[in-house]
Amino acid sequence: MWDIIVRGSINGAIFALIAVGLNLQYGVTRILNIAHGDFLMLGALITSFLFQFYGVNPLVSLAISGPTVFVIGVLIYIIVCRKLVRQSKSAEELEARSLLACFGLMFVVQNAISLIIRYNPAMQLSTARYLKEPITILGETLELNKVVATFTAIIISILLYIMLRSANVGLAMRATAQEPTGAQVVGINISGVHMISFGLSVLLSALGGSLMSMIIPNLSPLTGPTYTFIALAVIVIGGTGSFIGSLVGGFLMGYVYYATSKMENLLTMPVVYAFIIITLLVRPKGLFGR
Amino acid sequence: MLKGKMKDLTKISPTTLILIGVASALLSPFPLLYAPYFLTRYYVTILQTVLMWMTLSISWYFFSGFTKYIALGSAVFTGTGLYFTATYLNLMTFEGYPILPFPVIVLLAGSICFVLALAIGLVTLRLKGIYFAIATFGMSELVAGVIRWWQSKAGMHYIIFIPSFGRYIIYYSILTTALAILLLTTFLRRSKFGLALKMMGECEDAAAHFGVNTTLFKVLGFAISAMCMGLMGGSYAIRFPSINIRDAFSVEYSFVPVVMVLLGGVGTAYGPIIGAVTLSLLNQYLLVTFTGYFQLIYGAILILIVLFMPNGIMGIIMGTVGKLKATKLIRRKELAKAPKMPP
Repeated sequence: MWDIIVRGSINGAIFALIAVGLNLQYGVTRILNIAHGDFLMLGALITSFLFQFYGVNPLVSLAISGPTVFVIGVLIYIIVCRKLVRQSKSAEELEARSLLACFGLMFVVQNAISLIIRYNPAMQLSTARYLKEPITILGETLELNKVVATFTAIIISILLYIMLRSANVGLAMRATAQEPTGAQVVGINISGVHMISFGLSVLLSALGGSLMSMIIPNLSPLTGPTYTFIALAVIVIGGTGSFIGSLVGGFLMGYVYYATSKMENLLTMPVVYAFIIITLLVRPKGLFGR
Repeated sequence: MLKGKMKDLTKISPTTLILIGVASALLSPFPLLYAPYFLTRYYVTILQTVLMWMTLSISWYFFSGFTKYIALGSAVFTGTGLYFTATYLNLMTFEGYPILPFPVIVLLAGSICFVLALAIGLVTLRLKGIYFAIATFGMSELVAGVIRWWQSKAGMHYIIFIPSFGRYIIYYSILTTALAILLLTTFLRRSKFGLALKMMGECEDAAAHFGVNTTLFKVLGFAISAMCMGLMGGSYAIRFPSINIRDAFSVEYSFVPVVMVLLGGVGTAYGPIIGAVTLSLLNQYLLVTFTGYFQLIYGAILILIVLFMPNGIMGIIMGTVGKLKATKLIRRKELAKAPKMPP
């Protein structure tokens, strides 16, 4: 029983981190980035590359993978999304067209990563060799790197929450999410806020990927869409636009994911899906949605 | 005398021109009818793929394009049709022949999808927007996962071998299904049913006020669209020598029809067809020319299309036609307004 709590929290903390990013970005920009999970792979790629070829500590390389992917995200927003936002006449049109653009983006990112791995056969998306000492928590013995990754993910989430609550950028983001026109009236640069939130979202995804590479022995670059789906599921369960909802949803999802993969490995995704459906039927706007 | 005949030939009336146009338009599907007799095997395969994607796009557009409920679950219906037909052909045979005739099996696959979609629709169609999209998106994972789990419990193989049919049977089964679905959706679109679906897309509350039973029509529309996908999946199954459950319920089947419709242009009947033909031919070309990294280029092209063709291919066509018409009208008006010169 305790193992579900302990091992479920490991996945849950990272699911929450990924979902918080996507939720923030969707709430602010109204662009559903279905390439979100592939940026996770990008973060994992950068961290594993630095670890395997230069021996950089995975926790230190968070400071490299995050900003790199942030810059990539901002560039993508400037090149692709800003034009879409300007051209679209209605919110519905923007949603449909950005879905299409992100679909293309998903192909590009995913295949770029798999090509890099194919041409460097020595490379693996993994830094699980780091901190392999066993540790016992609540009677459950596991590797130290998993515990470190979990706590790092939680700390990053808390930092993000503080930023959204008190920093000027965070306040601007929340204002834009709640009332775009009103935010513009009080002098917020909407386009800039959209850009930063897009970059921040893929940054969080990349950090999640870096931490994921410490947990999972060999990450396949083709599983990006699975993580996108999990992030979407967490958002739906927690409610769009709710930070706490995403955190709680992420941990719940981690427990459900671990419990089913322990009992019936093949039924993991069906149960995750059934969990979403039941939540939606009981509360159509998610647990914390308004 | 000769001179008179020449005059007649040069003076073709507009009515004859229209008649010739209509006749060639009517005749144009005929090359499709005897395509396997003059095309090589390779081109017939491409033609089959194009027909399959075209049908899936039309079926998707029939529900989601009209009602604006973006469903991302085409894979569950296509996959169910494919996998049911494959399993049936593999298991239920008597001395090497399937127990039921092949068209009946395909119809059975279609009706299974219809019932499945009724159940899924009743549960998910009360959701809206992104919630509905995600709820349908996970559906293929759910069904494929449950089937795989059951297979592993029953100790069955994941890969199902399909008995080989002749190339003519394969082609004509796909063609028949495609044309039948094209006719069915066109007929339904012009009926009261299609009108009700369109009205719900514009404003659901207003439709309810006008006496449209919105729940019934939504679920029924979803189920018919799903049935079409199941029929196509069923007749497409015999194309493969063997099929894996991962390939049958591939996410491709959920996303690609949506992309095709958006590429072709939303709001017109020809959009899905044009989009499907363009994208599947492009896909095939890239696959052959850049085998290793074709998906990379495919993705980049997709982004470029979104950026520079906002309303899809039909948008560009309609735009130019509109401009031409506008200039003509303006000219006519100017001519009418211009004061008549005295002789």
